[in-house]
Amino acid sequence: MKEYRFEDLEIGMSESFTVEITEKMVNDFLCDIDDTNPLHTDSKFAKEQGYQDRVVYGMLTNALLSKLVGVYLPGKYCLLQGVESEFKKPVYIGDVLTVTGTVEELHPSVKRMSVKAVITNQNNKKVVRSKIEVGFLKYGE
Amino acid sequence: MSRDEVMSKLNEIFQNVFDDEDLVITDSTNANDIEDWDSLEQINLIVSIENEFEMMFEIAEVSDLANVGEMADLIMSKF
Repeated sequence: MKEYRFEDLEIGMSESFTVEITEKMVNDFLCDIDDTNPLHTDSKFAKEQGYQDRVVYGMLTNALLSKLVGVYLPGKYCLLQGVESEFKKPVYIGDVLTVTGTVEELHPSVKRMSVKAVITNQNNKKVVRSKIEVGFLKYGE
Repeated sequence: MSRDEVMSKLNEIFQNVFDDEDLVITDSTNANDIEDWDSLEQINLIVSIENEFEMMFEIAEVSDLANVGEMADLIMSKF
């Protein structure tokens, strides 16, 4: 886990990680959140709607942004304060997603960082675009 | 930019941050006057003001602001 403090960060710094979306992740999300919409649970229905298979929950993909800031940028001292996301393309089970965050704004007066985040699939297609607002916990000694 | 223009822009920022298009601020408006004005919204206000007016503040400058009027004065001092 990264441990960037506000003072360590500069505009343009970036971090990324890669994750494969598994069937278990989607099914666990279904069990936990109980969003039973057939677009996410019924392959036949999803195909009838023009998708290649059932679509991964957008909010499951969005949850990767929590890991981006909580583990990587800034990591340990992250206090997530806001997320604005656009879902650009569908994500499917088996997709390998790369989550990248770049420091876009730094506001020293209130220790607030804005991170521009992009999630791309294995075909380098952008599936999520997001702006994340991050504050900082106390560093401790 | 005149102080009236600063106050007008500040009013737009407050309306956006607090999602209230009927909100009207004055020099004396402070956190006691707006129910949702907590520490997180204070951060959102400062960030929005810094972006809108294209200026940055010091921690000390924003930590002791008593009301909107003092904020407007601080902005005016940065031009």
